[in-house]
Amino acid sequence: MILAVTLAGMALIGALGFAGRRGAADRNLLEWTVGGRRLGASALWFLQAGETFTTFTFLGLAGLAFSGGVAAMYALQYGTIAYVIVFFLARRVWTLSKDRGYLTLSDFLEDRFSSRTFGTLSAVLGVIFLLPYLQLQITGLGLIVRLLTGDAATGTLSMVVGTALIMAFVLWSGLRGVAAASYFKDAIMLVVLVVLIIAVPMHFAGGVPGIFARINQMQPAKLVIHAGANDHTWFVTSMLVSVIGGGLLTLPNLWPALLAARDPEALQRNLIWLPLYGICLLLPVIIGFAAVLVLPKGSDPNGALLTLSSSVLPHWMSGLVVVAATATAMVPAAGILIAISSLVARNIARTGDERRQFWINHLTVVVTCGSALLLAIWRPDLLANLLLLTYSGSAQLAPANCLGLQRRVVVGKVPVITALIVGEIVVLWLTFITPHAVGTINVGLIGLAANVAVLGIGAFIGRRLSAPNDNDEAPAAAGYREASDSSGSGDRPYSSVQQRTGGD
Amino acid sequence: MRSYHLPPILPIIALVAMPFLPFVNSAGLWLGLPKMVVWGGISALLLSPALLWSEHLMRRAREKDLQ
Repeated sequence: MILAVTLAGMALIGALGFAGRRGAADRNLLEWTVGGRRLGASALWFLQAGETFTTFTFLGLAGLAFSGGVAAMYALQYGTIAYVIVFFLARRVWTLSKDRGYLTLSDFLEDRFSSRTFGTLSAVLGVIFLLPYLQLQITGLGLIVRLLTGDAATGTLSMVVGTALIMAFVLWSGLRGVAAASYFKDAIMLVVLVVLIIAVPMHFAGGVPGIFARINQMQPAKLVIHAGANDHTWFVTSMLVSVIGGGLLTLPNLWPALLAARDPEALQRNLIWLPLYGICLLLPVIIGFAAVLVLPKGSDPNGALLTLSSSVLPHWMSGLVVVAATATAMVPAAGILIAISSLVARNIARTGDERRQFWINHLTVVVTCGSALLLAIWRPDLLANLLLLTYSGSAQLAPANCLGLQRRVVVGKVPVITALIVGEIVVLWLTFITPHAVGTINVGLIGLAANVAVLGIGAFIGRRLSAPNDNDEAPAAAGYREASDSSGSGDRPYSSVQQRTGGD
Repeated sequence: MRSYHLPPILPIIALVAMPFLPFVNSAGLWLGLPKMVVWGGISALLLSPALLWSEHLMRRAREKDLQ
């Protein structure tokens, strides 16, 4: 029964994704990656909110509250503060991208620092950091079904079906498909969370206050940030690295939704209200607290929400919870896939031919999706360690993003690239070679300290030796400026962007 | 830093300082909820009105620049 409902839900998500292509003007990378930069406020809202509400939010936050208590509140902090930073940067990012024809984060870095090397390096890093994130969503698909059916084979089947559908609708519809599926994802997720926030506490403690009254009596330590794995240092540094990653747009998958806006006003209007929407993050946290009272210590934290829902809700309703959980895996996976393939097609493979670039992009979707699925089935642990780098590693692009957004880029490419490499080496070293050397401090922050120090020294030396990088906005130095094309979109064809003259 | 950057600063400080405020990061409940949940929820709630104000100030600054 649960498997049937799950497969039906997946098919519905896939169908919505396919239907999303309606309204697409042309078949090119501009249309496919950023919806031709013509998406309105509502589609943008769900695309942007969709990046916050993933499998981690739905299952992971409840699990974090179950194992770490109020430490899970760090997600509310970073989830809302990052929106504030993006609010102030959005107009600048959008205008610059529209004017110069960027489709990816690496387009922006390559142009602003006049360096193909930097564009390629940042794209390769972006793919490395996003690939485990994609696999996590696919593994999550299988985990959700396996937890509720108790059968590993049905888990694998749902992974295969889910991945095939994601791949198909992403290939067909691009970002518009993700936007269409996002409406359904957020709607069903909110409905399920509201049902759970009423049903679970009512069933186990007579209501939400009952849950916390009992926790306050029996396990008051869960209500306090205290010494241990999730201490003050962990809380603040993890929050800071996530705010830097989300707010300064260092994760490549945050760019398409931003660049897809019809105008910057729609973008900013959404960003005003997104922190309010972010308060919904408290719903899975509260359900996780209920699990503290009900589940035995040592239970799988990621299964806390699903275990509680299946013990409280009727069978058909549990199926709805599974569909919501699957949607929180499928839709973000589709967004990540778009970010990875556009990085490969535009900034790594590099071809001057528009058509070839489009096919390289589509081939990347198939190869990436297939590899992530195979790894999720046979070697789910292979990329798990790399996942530790997703935020801490990508945060190392923050100084470059900040400098690139300035009207005049005052630091050259050499210090920026050197600083990025140093930052990544520090993060890699502290993550894999000496993992306990810095206690509970997020290694991304230490990497950033090294990164900024090298950048400062490099900029100082650079200034003494030569004039700063003259990549001012006007005139367009690197051949990125777009001419209005015949479609009137204001974007020039994406392929011509590839003909640019890099600084390397 | 321009004037339109200021409105969200207070709620952001309230959110970041949350674990360091002894009256927030302590056992006990406010309105039947953990103190951190109430404090964090209210601070996050204040961000949207603060950003509305920022947008208003930004629009005024843009109009001034145009004149």
